[in-house]
Amino acid sequence: MNLGGAIRAIISFLIFVVLHYTLRPLLGWRAPMDFLILALLLASVRVRPATAAVIGFVLGLISDSLAPDALGAGAIAMTVVGFGASYLKAVFFADNLVLNAFFFFLGKWVFDILYFVGEQRVKGVELLQQLLLWSPLSAAVTAAVGVLLLFIMRPLLEPAPA
Amino acid sequence: MHRTLRSNTRFDLIVVSTCIVLALAARALPNTMREPVATGMRRSFLAPLVMLQESAERGRQSLLSADAKQAHLDSLSLGAMKAGSLEGENDRLRKLIGLGSRLRWGFIPAEALHGRGVRDETTVILSAGSRAGVSRLSPVIAPEGLVGVVDQVDPTMSHAMLWTHPDFRVSAMSPDGTAFGIAQAHLTGATGGYLIELRGVPFRATLKPGDVIVSSGWGGVWPRGIPIGTVLQEIKTSEGWARTYLLRPAVNPADAYSVMILRRDRLAKGLDGVWQNTAQVDQAAQRILVSGDSAAKAAALAEAAARRAVIDSMARANGAAPLGAAPATPGATDTSAAAVAARAAAARAAAQRAAARRAAAAESAARQADTNTTRRDTVPRRDSVRTDTIPYRPGAAR
Repeated sequence: MNLGGAIRAIISFLIFVVLHYTLRPLLGWRAPMDFLILALLLASVRVRPATAAVIGFVLGLISDSLAPDALGAGAIAMTVVGFGASYLKAVFFADNLVLNAFFFFLGKWVFDILYFVGEQRVKGVELLQQLLLWSPLSAAVTAAVGVLLLFIMRPLLEPAPA
Repeated sequence: MHRTLRSNTRFDLIVVSTCIVLALAARALPNTMREPVATGMRRSFLAPLVMLQESAERGRQSLLSADAKQAHLDSLSLGAMKAGSLEGENDRLRKLIGLGSRLRWGFIPAEALHGRGVRDETTVILSAGSRAGVSRLSPVIAPEGLVGVVDQVDPTMSHAMLWTHPDFRVSAMSPDGTAFGIAQAHLTGATGGYLIELRGVPFRATLKPGDVIVSSGWGGVWPRGIPIGTVLQEIKTSEGWARTYLLRPAVNPADAYSVMILRRDRLAKGLDGVWQNTAQVDQAAQRILVSGDSAAKAAALAEAAARRAVIDSMARANGAAPLGAAPATPGATDTSAAAVAARAAAARAAAQRAAARRAAAAESAARQADTNTTRRDTVPRRDSVRTDTIPYRPGAAR
């Protein structure tokens, strides 16, 4: 990735982070979209797995700092998701919106599973309900929003012509 | 190349393992250490993001509460609209109570039930009947003046003919007794509403716009002194021997919802002073306002004169001092002299103000004594003035 592409990727990454802390609380949905996961996934497919793991770790810590009881849970989940996304980018890094949507959906769902299991706050039936109902819904919303943003921000996210 | 790839993979695994170990370490931190770590992050490099989130949360709360606020605003608007009508009704009822206390006895309060039919603008149903003492040809009045006359009586309700009825007539006169005539309804047009015309006024008697016309008491139905209307203008008719005047009615029957029905035995005692009291109280209040304005103006003039005197004194004192003199002791002496002059001028101004106030009060009292026989030191209440102490004053404007 050249310098221009890196700058565009950083800008889009920051846009996603800002959206996470503005649009998401403004909407306040029960199954919210997760812009941090979108930012992580879009960054992970552009960097090597070690860098993706570090990005995920940092994003996770940022996320956890606003919920101190779960400090570390988000960092673990995002590290794993970032590393996995970067490791599997050969599978998912395709110019296919449906495949990208599935990529986002899977990333968010895996994150939620790791997060809620690691957080250990929700248990029993409530945990099952969260993981099998609300997390997939949230993952679906995240995937839809991710595809929409991919479509809107295509000029920023596409690699520059050689 | 294969070796490089393997070494890269090993590096990636080391890094991700390190990250996971660090995350687990953070997860394993005791609660007493998690909070300081998280707080430190929130207060340092995450502060902008926290601020953004707080703003977004506030925006969401505003959006959510907008509907509730709008509903509250609508309720307040509705209450404000109701308050206007309630104030109007309160005012009407207060006037009615005032009229009742001035009449003292011999009246029956009733509600006027207006119909909405074609002929209902000339008649009205009253909520009091013969059981309450209403009889045929009992006058119906409102605090402002004449409303109509009862023409049919049932035990519990009665039917009244309003002054807008084509058959309604009342003998009227000017308060000074110089002009008499017969008042009847005057339809100004298809949608113009009703006025009153005063017919048969002798040609030698002239009325000015604004003159009050009251019932004359002739005929035995209406007692003397009930306001009928005020003169608007003279209208030309074919009758060359008499004048006809157009009156603005004292009461719009459509607005009369609470009325008084006068009993027949009350008519014999007359209604002198019932409406004159109201006019006199209004005039007295107006005179008090004017007197207050005069006193304030005199006081302001006196104060301005005092200020001028102080400024002149200080200017004279400064002019007497030698130019270029040292400001130590002579300056102190000059300032002291100026202060003495200022105090004297202020005392003169205060005396002038007090004199002006006394003069204004005396003038006001004298004016009231000329036109009003009620006590000078009190503002007469409408309900407390004895009717027999208020002489009938012809020509008193309402």
